Amino acid sequence: MAAISIIDLVMQFDGFTAVDHVSLDVGEGEFVTLLGPSGCGKTTLLNLISGFLQPTSGRIEIGGKDVVGVPPEARDTAICFQSYALFPHLSVQENLIFGLRQKGTPRTQRNARLEEIVGQVDLGAHLDKLPNQLSGGQQQRVALGRALAVRPFVILFDEPLSNLDAKLREQVRIEIRKIQRDFGLTAIYVTHDQAEALAMSDRIFIMNNGRLEQSGAPEEIYYAPRTRFVADFVGSANILDAEITEELSQGRWHVVTPIGPLEIQSKSAPRAKSLPICWRPETAIAGKEGPNALTGTITHRAFQGHFTDLIVDLGGTSQRLQVLRNAEGEGDKVDFSIMPHDLIFLEPDG
Amino acid sequence: MRQPAPWKLALLLFPGLGLILIFIGAVIYIAVAQSFGYYNLQGESGWTLEFWERTVGRRAYERSVSYSLYVGIVSAVLSVALAYPLALWLRKPFKGSLTVSAILKAPLLIHGIVAAFLFLNVISYHGILNQFLVSLGVFDGPRRLQNDDNAIGLLIMQVWKNMPIALLLLTGAVQAISDDVLRAARDLGAGVWARFRKIIAPLSVSAMQASLIIIFIGALADFTFQTTIGPTNRQSMAQYMDWFKERARWNEAAVVGVTLMVLSLLGSIGLAGAAQLIFRGRRK
Repeated sequence: MAAISIIDLVMQFDGFTAVDHVSLDVGEGEFVTLLGPSGCGKTTLLNLISGFLQPTSGRIEIGGKDVVGVPPEARDTAICFQSYALFPHLSVQENLIFGLRQKGTPRTQRNARLEEIVGQVDLGAHLDKLPNQLSGGQQQRVALGRALAVRPFVILFDEPLSNLDAKLREQVRIEIRKIQRDFGLTAIYVTHDQAEALAMSDRIFIMNNGRLEQSGAPEEIYYAPRTRFVADFVGSANILDAEITEELSQGRWHVVTPIGPLEIQSKSAPRAKSLPICWRPETAIAGKEGPNALTGTITHRAFQGHFTDLIVDLGGTSQRLQVLRNAEGEGDKVDFSIMPHDLIFLEPDG
Repeated sequence: MRQPAPWKLALLLFPGLGLILIFIGAVIYIAVAQSFGYYNLQGESGWTLEFWERTVGRRAYERSVSYSLYVGIVSAVLSVALAYPLALWLRKPFKGSLTVSAILKAPLLIHGIVAAFLFLNVISYHGILNQFLVSLGVFDGPRRLQNDDNAIGLLIMQVWKNMPIALLLLTGAVQAISDDVLRAARDLGAGVWARFRKIIAPLSVSAMQASLIIIFIGALADFTFQTTIGPTNRQSMAQYMDWFKERARWNEAAVVGVTLMVLSLLGSIGLAGAAQLIFRGRRK
């Protein structure tokens, strides 16, 4: 049985559809991410799951029970807010046990739970402090500890790391995942940061304009995007309009693109004669190798540390390459190749 | 930066702080001095406890003190209690919320004496309320609604006049509470009352205290409402002070005046302290 089942969920605000016939299942102990750009409906979906919004139509089941109409305080969920939403007048300790107090947990059990949580989130030295006396990372840990203390069936994260600096974000990301695994929690994580989603999730649900665009394991989303939107939103991708001219053999096609003729090797057959294709910048191989050998002019070069970003002009079409080492500069010619299996058929637009 | 000379600092502070201290200080000094026999307009001036002994020993003094405290405390608490749900309702703008807010604050623009006369017309023996209730069949005939022993009419007017003050102060305070904080409390299982008791009230306790103090001091020293619609068998302290003044007994009037000031101070501390203790608790 799924921990959470969302069945044909619709949420409309004054004629605007924020969530458009979304259906998904989340397994018990699974960490899933709702990923999408601002305004795609992911936070609305989270609010529907937590009970702060009531859907226009559709069903939400948590632990097999339909929870539509059940107020947030009666749902077995807990949220980690983007703003942390700590109670500013209560100490760290009081914040951590707030939920337990509301649920009428006996004092001895409350103290035991507090001790356990304090150990997990490493806040022992700060229990008497007020939230404004803590750093961003510590506040984040209090918010996480407060949500964990009530032992929710489902924990919901609403972009919890967006207020932290890059270094701390990486550290807290690992902590969250570790705690989620240790407690065996079912977690739904909302973010617009694709790197965060790829690094943390068991599964990613990509949302666009209120709809579920694609779902799957991070690797599947990254290496086999289904649509132009997913290819473009998750990681960087070079997307080209292609015309299939010939099926060369089983699983190999010849296509014509604005950067020239290419050969594609794909397990799935193209769904139309004209359709977009994509390839990831880091799959480019320096030099001329295989059927897709290309030469372009470097128009922009940016050293990124562990790789170099090149924007290359190929007959008026710009393509992005990420190469480990590159001696050429802007205006120089560069030879590169794309392996046929690194080219991906996308769904036809519209 | 070089520290200015003390005399320059004093000169800079004088137009503000100096005038306040002079005016407030002069009033307090005259009232206190007069209550102890100085500035006697009808006899010899000099230190005496005679006026305190004579006034405090009266039954009328005791009754006016307890009656004024009753009016002050009940008015303050009821005004704040009524203002809170309205402030929470108006916390987020909605269609017409500005109009509702303006209407609720309208009593601030109406003079108390005018409102009291209007209210008198409403509750008088042949007033609108009596006629309405008789026409509905609720009353067999007109009833006496004025001069009620518990000063309900007066309290209604006090709350009507003072609630907007509390509303003004509380609206700002509750608007400053973030939505996420309230949602987090709800998410962690806090119902409506628990959210008010544990989050909203503690985070707006300063505005609550300010409202209680302002309303309490005003209602404690009420004269206008009391003389217009208050019960005739009770005297407020302001009324009692006026009673002495009418008889040119200035020193006894000063005793009541000083009592009023002391009660204002103690009552304010008491109300503010109670609000703090009930809603904020004692920090460890």
